[in-house]
This record gives sequence, C-alpha cells and structure tokens, in this order.
Amino acid sequence: MKINKSYNFHWHILLLIVVLIELWPLLFMVSTSFKTMDQIFAATLNPFPTSFILDNYLRVLHTLPLGSYIINTFIVASGITIAKIFTSLIAGFAFVYYDFRHKETIFNALLFTFFIPITVIIMPNYLLISKMGLLNTPLGVILPQLADGMGIFLMRQTMRGIPKPLIEAGQLENASPWHILTRIMLPLIKPAIFAMGIVFFIDSWNQYFWPLLVLNDKASYTLPIALQMFISAEGGSEWGIAMAVATLTSLPPLLLYLVCQRFIINTFMQSGVKG
Amino acid sequence: MKHYHWQPALFLAPAIIVSLLFSYWPLLQDIWLSFHSWNMVSPNMKFIGLQNYLQLISGPELIKVFSNTFIYIAILVSINFLLPYLLSFVMAHRIHRFSFFYRSILFIPSTLSLAVASIIFLWIFNPLAGPISLLLSTMGLDSPSWFKDPSFVIMAISLIIGWKVFGYNLIVLFAAMVAVPKDLIEAAKLENASSWHIFRHIIVPITSPTALYVFVITIVFGLQYVLVPLNMLTQGGPDQSSTNLVYIVYQYGFVFFQTGKAAAFAVLTMLVYAGFLVIKSKLLNKLVHYEN
Repeated sequence: MKINKSYNFHWHILLLIVVLIELWPLLFMVSTSFKTMDQIFAATLNPFPTSFILDNYLRVLHTLPLGSYIINTFIVASGITIAKIFTSLIAGFAFVYYDFRHKETIFNALLFTFFIPITVIIMPNYLLISKMGLLNTPLGVILPQLADGMGIFLMRQTMRGIPKPLIEAGQLENASPWHILTRIMLPLIKPAIFAMGIVFFIDSWNQYFWPLLVLNDKASYTLPIALQMFISAEGGSEWGIAMAVATLTSLPPLLLYLVCQRFIINTFMQSGVKG
Repeated sequence: MKHYHWQPALFLAPAIIVSLLFSYWPLLQDIWLSFHSWNMVSPNMKFIGLQNYLQLISGPELIKVFSNTFIYIAILVSINFLLPYLLSFVMAHRIHRFSFFYRSILFIPSTLSLAVASIIFLWIFNPLAGPISLLLSTMGLDSPSWFKDPSFVIMAISLIIGWKVFGYNLIVLFAAMVAVPKDLIEAAKLENASSWHIFRHIIVPITSPTALYVFVITIVFGLQYVLVPLNMLTQGGPDQSSTNLVYIVYQYGFVFFQTGKAAAFAVLTMLVYAGFLVIKSKLLNKLVHYEN
C-alpha cells in the first residue's frame, strides 16, 4: 500500500504537541533547579538558565541529610521489590503448577487486594505497625507491602506461557516442585521478572502516602516525603531548592527507565491486555 | 504429585498471610471500629451502634464528597481514558513511523513520584509568578488561585494526575490497538467503509476488554492518586471542596481524629469500590463472551 505522507503529517503535529505538554513540566523542574532566585522570577518562561548555577544543589547538600534520605528510600524500595518478586513468583507458581480446591477464589481474593483503596486500610495498619513498635523504621513501611496482587497476576500469566513438555520432562525425572520452579521455569521467565522488579522498584521509590504516616521522624524520611518540607502555606519561596530535591528524587527512576525502556514498556503493554 | 495439599499451601502462604493480615483483617477492623466512638489514642472506646453511619448519612458532607468524587471521575476519565484511547488509535493506525519514539517519551512522567509532580505543578500554577499565570497575562487574563478557588481546585488537582498517568494508559491502550488485525481494517477500506464505521464496528469491539480495564483503573486508582496532591497542596480544601470518597477516610482518621467516623467512611468507600469492581467483572465476562 502506498503511504500518503501528507495524510500522516497532521497526526505527527498532534502527537508532538502532546509530547511537548508532557515534557514541558519536567523541563521546568530541571531548569528551575539550576536558576538563581532572580532568574526564577524574571525569566520564568525561559527554560534555559542564562547562567547555570549549582547553588541550589549545594544548599540542599548542606542543609539536608540527603545521604540518609537516599539510603532510606533505597532500603524501602529494594526491600519491597525483593519481597514482592519472591512472593509473586512462588504464588504464581502454585497457581500454574497445582490444582487445588477454591483455586480461582483464592486467586481472585489475592488480586482483589490490589484494588483496595489505601486509605481504607491504613488506619488499622497504622495501629498495628505502631503496636509492633515499627514506626519510623523502614521495616514498618515494608511489612504491609510484602506481597502484590498484580505481581501474582503477572507471574501466573508469564508462567502459563511456558511449554508444558518442559515441565513434564522435569516431572519424569522426579524433580521436586522447587527444582522445577528454580531450575526449569525461572531461567525462562527471567526477563519478565526483571521487568516486574523494575516496575516494583520505581513504584516503591516514589511512594508517598504510607511512608508519610509511618515515618514521622525527620531522620527516617524518604525522598518523596522530604519534598513536603519545601511547601509552605503560600506556595513556598525556595523554588530553586525544591526543584533541586525534586530533580534528585526523580533521577533514579528516570535513569532506570531510560536504560530499560523497552523492557518496561513491553511489560506495561502486557499488564493491561487481560485485566 | 498433585494431591499434596500442603505443597501449594506452602507456596501460597506468604502472599496469603500478608493479604489477610494487612488487607482483609483491616477491612474487618474498619467494620468493628465504625460502631465505636474513639480518637485513636485515648484508652476509652465507646460502642455507639449505628450512630457514625447515621451522622454520615444525615450530614451535608456526604453529598459534597460524592459530587466531588463524580467531578474527579468525569475529568479523569476524559484526560486519562478518552484522550489516550483516541491517541492510541492514531498511533497504531494513522501513523507509520516514530510510534516507539512517542511511546517512550510520553511514558516518562509515569516513572516520576506524585510528590514530584505535585511540587512541579504547585509552581506551574502559582497565581503570582508561575508560568501559567504569565501565559494568561500575555492574553490579558488574570490567573485564578488554582488551589484555593473552589471552582478550579478539582480541575487543577486532576490535571496533575492527568499529566502523570496519561502515558501509562496510552501504552496499555496502544497494546490493544496494535492487536487489531490490520487486514480487517484493509478489508473494510476496500468496501469503502468510512473511518467512523471502522472505528465503531472494528476497533471499539475488539479493544473493549482492555478499554474497560483502563477505564476502571482510571477511576479506581485515579481517585487514590489524587490523594498525594490533595495532601500536599490543599488538604481537601478550601472548605472541603477538593476532598473525595477516598481522601475523606484519611481526613477523619488522621486529621480530625474521629476514628469511628473514619471507619464508617472506609466501609462506605469499600462498598462503593467493591460494587464498581463487581460490575466491571460482569461486563468483562460479557465482552469476552461476545468476542468469542
């Protein structure tokens, strides 16, 4: 079929406008973080600072325990990620490998937890975590998030795609289920696990609400919570510093995304196909 | 080998224990708490029967909460469902190049924290010196105080979520759009079917299960995503004009310290959500059935 170029042209213009709208706020975040206060107010619409300054970043380094915020965020994000990968993997395996009573019901009950609005369960969970003495600790943030309904769903979908003969060959050799999972299935689904892990990590790195409740002590803050400190009632005046912290907070997920783009996009594309 | 019941139980145990302890047990506790009057810290908890529910139903707040929730839903569905739906169609069937480029760029905001998005838009919507107010003033318009004006606040908050979630929904919908067989469309074109006809009778039916999924997460998660900008920028104000069914539970629990009433709202919110999800799965079964 012949492709009529002018036929496409206006659609590309439309898409480019959408691209601009989506990138514009990010551009503002980054450029404002490199501007002096004068420039922020005098040259608001100019995304390129007339002179790049690092003052905002230096002041962040001097006034905030940035290192410990980064470490806190990293501990929370990687703890949640590792736990969720493990629980999703073995639960997904159980649903693919075994037949048992009430299988669908149990699966749906686990998947349903994914849709429960957070505020509905945070009050009892907060009381529980505080009774356990885990307020202001990363463990208190991690504990209620050790499993993930969507992760179980994705793992089950992925494992269903493994050819049956491979698994049966393992069974013929009397391999234990654990052996079949780790030696036969795991190597085949590594890319899917990796992609799911990145998504878990980005999500938990960015988390705001639950950590906000558990972490009250400033020393235990994660980065997204620390951002709150830069908002005053009137909208804050330290815009340069706020944007510097926002940029730093965004950097790890952004880099992860840029490096693993194809992986992430493909996983997300699959996640919605059969809701 | 499939008759060892303890084996699947062992593999499922971690997920089941976590879900019971941190998802289902809290739901039961909500029900129990909703029959009490308590402030979360005092040792005195008083059983008051259905009073929390009666207050909730008779108060003027409930109407406001529900109408705000509907406004949120209307705006979020337009920005995060209808627009990406149409645009994903354009990307899959109206252009022939650069589609991966558009997808990767448009996805970027989805990787950022809502806390970051809230800060950025607080500056963008700053009524005195922010970029939007400058753009409006070049057109001779005054910028409203977006987050303090009851008639703009829900729109402004929803735009933050719209900006952040747009790319994610676009990609999920795009996956469904490219799965529509091209020869079906070509065949329809040969028969001189109009674009509208192709869209209505080929694209829409085939993509409907995914569309339904995105429609549901747009609402179910959208109402939760707004919690972050709500809590950071407006605390549900001014005068509760930006709160919604999900945020009100948090407000009663952690701002007003009326645990019983918060729990009653939690039960109500859960019922609304559960009802919505049941309708969704009924609809999905119908769609999938229809498709076969």
